[in-house]
Amino acid sequence: MLNYLARRLVLAVITIWAITVVTFIILQLPPGDFVDAYVAQASAVGTAISAAEADALRHAYGLDQPLIIQYFKWLSHILQGDFGQSFEYGRPVTEVIGDRLWLTVVLSLGAIMVTWGLALPIGIYSAVRQYSIGDYIFTFIGFIGLALPNFLLALIVMYLGLRLFNVSVGGLFSSSFALAPWSWAKLWDLMEHLPVPMLILAMAGTAQLVRIMRANLLDELRRPYVVTARARGLPERRVIMKYPVRAALNPFASTVGYLLPFTVSGSVIISVVLSLPTVGPILLHSLISQDELLSSTIILMLGVLTVLGTLLSDLLLMWIDPRIRMGALK
Amino acid sequence: MTEISRRGVLAAIAASPVAMAWFTEQVRAADLAASGLVGEVQGPTMITDPAQWPKKFQEAPMLAELVKAGKLPPVEQRIPAEPMVWKPLDQIGTYGGTWRRAFTGPGDVENGNRINSSDKCFFWSADGSKIVPCVAKAYELSDDGKTYTLHLRKGMKWSDGAPFTADDFVFWFEDLYSNKEIVPTPIPDMTPGGKPGRVVKVDETTVRFDFDVPYYLFEDMMAGDTNIGGGQSVRQSQKLSFGAYSPGHYLKQFMPKYSSLDEVNARAKKEGFENWIQMLHFKKDWSLNTDLPTLGPWKTVKTINTPIWLLERNPYYYAVDTEGNQLPYLDHVQMTLGEDLEVINLRAMAGEYDEQERHMDLSKLPVILDNQTKGNYKVHLDLGFAGSDFLLQVNQSYKADPEMRKWLTNADFRRALSLGIDRDQLNETFWLGVGTPGSAAPGESRPESPGPEWRKKWSVLDIKQANELLDKIGLTKKDSAGFRVRTDNGERLRVQIIAVQAFLPYPKLSEMVADQWQKIGIQADVRELERNLAMTRVRNNEHHIYIWNNAGTELLYLFARHAIPVDPTEAYMGPDYATYYASGGKQGTKPDDENILKIWDLFSSAAGLKVDGRNKNAQEIWKINVDQQYGIGTVGQSPAGLGVRLVSNKLGNIAAQVCNAQHCRTPGNSHPETWYFKA
Repeated sequence: MLNYLARRLVLAVITIWAITVVTFIILQLPPGDFVDAYVAQASAVGTAISAAEADALRHAYGLDQPLIIQYFKWLSHILQGDFGQSFEYGRPVTEVIGDRLWLTVVLSLGAIMVTWGLALPIGIYSAVRQYSIGDYIFTFIGFIGLALPNFLLALIVMYLGLRLFNVSVGGLFSSSFALAPWSWAKLWDLMEHLPVPMLILAMAGTAQLVRIMRANLLDELRRPYVVTARARGLPERRVIMKYPVRAALNPFASTVGYLLPFTVSGSVIISVVLSLPTVGPILLHSLISQDELLSSTIILMLGVLTVLGTLLSDLLLMWIDPRIRMGALK
Repeated sequence: MTEISRRGVLAAIAASPVAMAWFTEQVRAADLAASGLVGEVQGPTMITDPAQWPKKFQEAPMLAELVKAGKLPPVEQRIPAEPMVWKPLDQIGTYGGTWRRAFTGPGDVENGNRINSSDKCFFWSADGSKIVPCVAKAYELSDDGKTYTLHLRKGMKWSDGAPFTADDFVFWFEDLYSNKEIVPTPIPDMTPGGKPGRVVKVDETTVRFDFDVPYYLFEDMMAGDTNIGGGQSVRQSQKLSFGAYSPGHYLKQFMPKYSSLDEVNARAKKEGFENWIQMLHFKKDWSLNTDLPTLGPWKTVKTINTPIWLLERNPYYYAVDTEGNQLPYLDHVQMTLGEDLEVINLRAMAGEYDEQERHMDLSKLPVILDNQTKGNYKVHLDLGFAGSDFLLQVNQSYKADPEMRKWLTNADFRRALSLGIDRDQLNETFWLGVGTPGSAAPGESRPESPGPEWRKKWSVLDIKQANELLDKIGLTKKDSAGFRVRTDNGERLRVQIIAVQAFLPYPKLSEMVADQWQKIGIQADVRELERNLAMTRVRNNEHHIYIWNNAGTELLYLFARHAIPVDPTEAYMGPDYATYYASGGKQGTKPDDENILKIWDLFSSAAGLKVDGRNKNAQEIWKINVDQQYGIGTVGQSPAGLGVRLVSNKLGNIAAQVCNAQHCRTPGNSHPETWYFKA
């Protein structure tokens, strides 16, 4: 068991190193660098920046060094816990992300809870009462949820909110609270703003999970052990919850790995559309403006979280599924 | 991809039949002026006669408290002996309140720069036609045009209370501008005829700019939105180091000249920068550094890299109203981050902003008008001067494909393309009919306009003439689908249009033009590219036609790059030619087109001409330009850029129409420091 864990940890470290290499390479792929993007933006507002000036900026920000040197400089800084300064924000990268991190986590965790809270019971219901009216209704709504792009839903909800209820659109705070220090009133304001983005974020995920849960459970329900349990006179509730549901949960455990990165940058597009102060929009924006230290830090963070999440889901699987536990020990 | 479809969706909502019908009724059926949306150009009046200046001064309650607490000297000591005096548009305002507004992130520094643009040495009258005093009270230009003398206001102070004097100009010139590590190459603004100018202190309030050749144009340079004249906010933020003056008393501590290289580098490291230059770029940026002394009506108290960019009144601001109240009236400007333009537009309609013109989308005008009562705001349309909000710039230095080069550099080919565009259809679809169709030339009200007859020259729909021109130049053969074919290999002639997403939906507009060109047998391929990639293509001289607007070219000498190929930055009309011009013939390629050489001649000689001569040269340039169709104009003089203005009914002293132009720094030259909240 320990041996297994150690092997997984070593593999994780190697994977993370590989992620740093890939991250760095990917960010170099688009034409130009931050200075080019900056020159383009400056010229859009009528500022001419000469080629010599652009080179001076490149020099000041170390962008004129060979890639391999830039990479090792970046890596060594990271190992010392220094993620550098964002070009565009002119602040330490950790601060730029940190400002938004906890709101992002709150929002995403909320969305995950809503997703699971809705999807699991509905999935179980749909499987157990297959082809009932309820199953058909949920299936119908589920397919709409799957087919409707989230950003479209977000736009429609915002527009209707404005037209019908004249409510503030987008963001997580009313403008009167945006600057105010934290207070109960501000917290309540946040609470009022959270449900809509949370539900929209949860929508597609819920529909998907309902379908997976339903299909898995249907597979299990036809197994002989279920028939045996019923024949032995076990109460119906116990028959379903104790055995087939547990087995059907396997795929959930194995996708826990993706939930960790999701909590940090759940949905970039929805966050942009709803103008939420989360990490998603800064990732998108830093990629467009080629703010490399900022985007690489976020991507690296997502990579590390994915690796950790996968590790976690392996352990979780071992815990809930004896077959995997035994296999690993062998 | 999602970006496009998302915009499509809202555009569809905006264009819903009900809203559209309402809009037609309100605006299009009546004429634009009668709609009440386009008012008279107005602004506050500057009182320049010292006899009419107030003798006693008052200040905002929030500053009076600071004075009482001994944290600030009394108002008489903060205002210059020669203040800027405004008679507000409607009435004397009352102090207080926060102007709520939207911004889109740290890249949107222009949002605040423009509000704060009365930190320019000179500015423009409300209609954008005359140079008026601002930070400086007056200037003289010597008869030979080689000496420009600037007079500052006596007793004027930086926002930290330190005196603002001629030394701040000398500091900028000697320590920022002349330091090759910060500004490696001299800017054209300061080097007429390629000869570097000098900045000299005459006395505390007098500065002289000396040049080796006549440089009458410099008066416009100092008033325009140029590198030299743009003011501290815009020209020293975003890692720039221009703008004529700089707070030396504050910035010296970050420069090696005043301590040592080791010392400033050590300080930079300690504050989290790699080296002193990075630190300096941060320290002189008013949007990032709250300690930086500034001159504008407001200063930053919460920086642009946070979700709210908050400005607060500058206690030393140098302007008062006619009753002696120190301006601005409004305590704060609060810009709230909107990650997405759709959200910003929706919030504006919900009445969440007190004044917003930036990021407002013309295509949403019907819904914006629909929500006026509910959102408690009024809509004003501010028309621009520029000839074309959607300009097809034809690459004259293209050479990758000899056959294509032959046609792109053929005037009749370009004229035919222009005659093949149905500008009314574009105007109705994308400008909701409020633009003016025609050539690229600036509006007739501008002194540089070549005259009304040049609006329509080669710039109306005439399929017959277009086809005749194309037949005449030898593009007679067509393929089975009716498209004209190349003369070298008989394949279809394909004109490529590069369009990026900006201001207007350029790719969609280009598609419509491509569609219209079918009637003249021209196949156009529209390439929608990401901005950086598109710019790389242009730098490599790979594009046929590039889409942009020509906003700013109404003052040709201050911003020529979208009118003629002279500026290697964004040289869509010919990167190789622009490089040749800018380098004085050392790099790039010399044009074989006589007309371009003639334009260059008129352009470069204008800097040494007085204003009438300059205007005449500009008119000549526009005539050649329109006749040659280097830039194919479509629809302009519209509110498409920064011209849809939503103003809360609570705000007072608001102009019916403001000058909407780059040199007017919209909304800067409507002087937001004179706005106030009605009780």
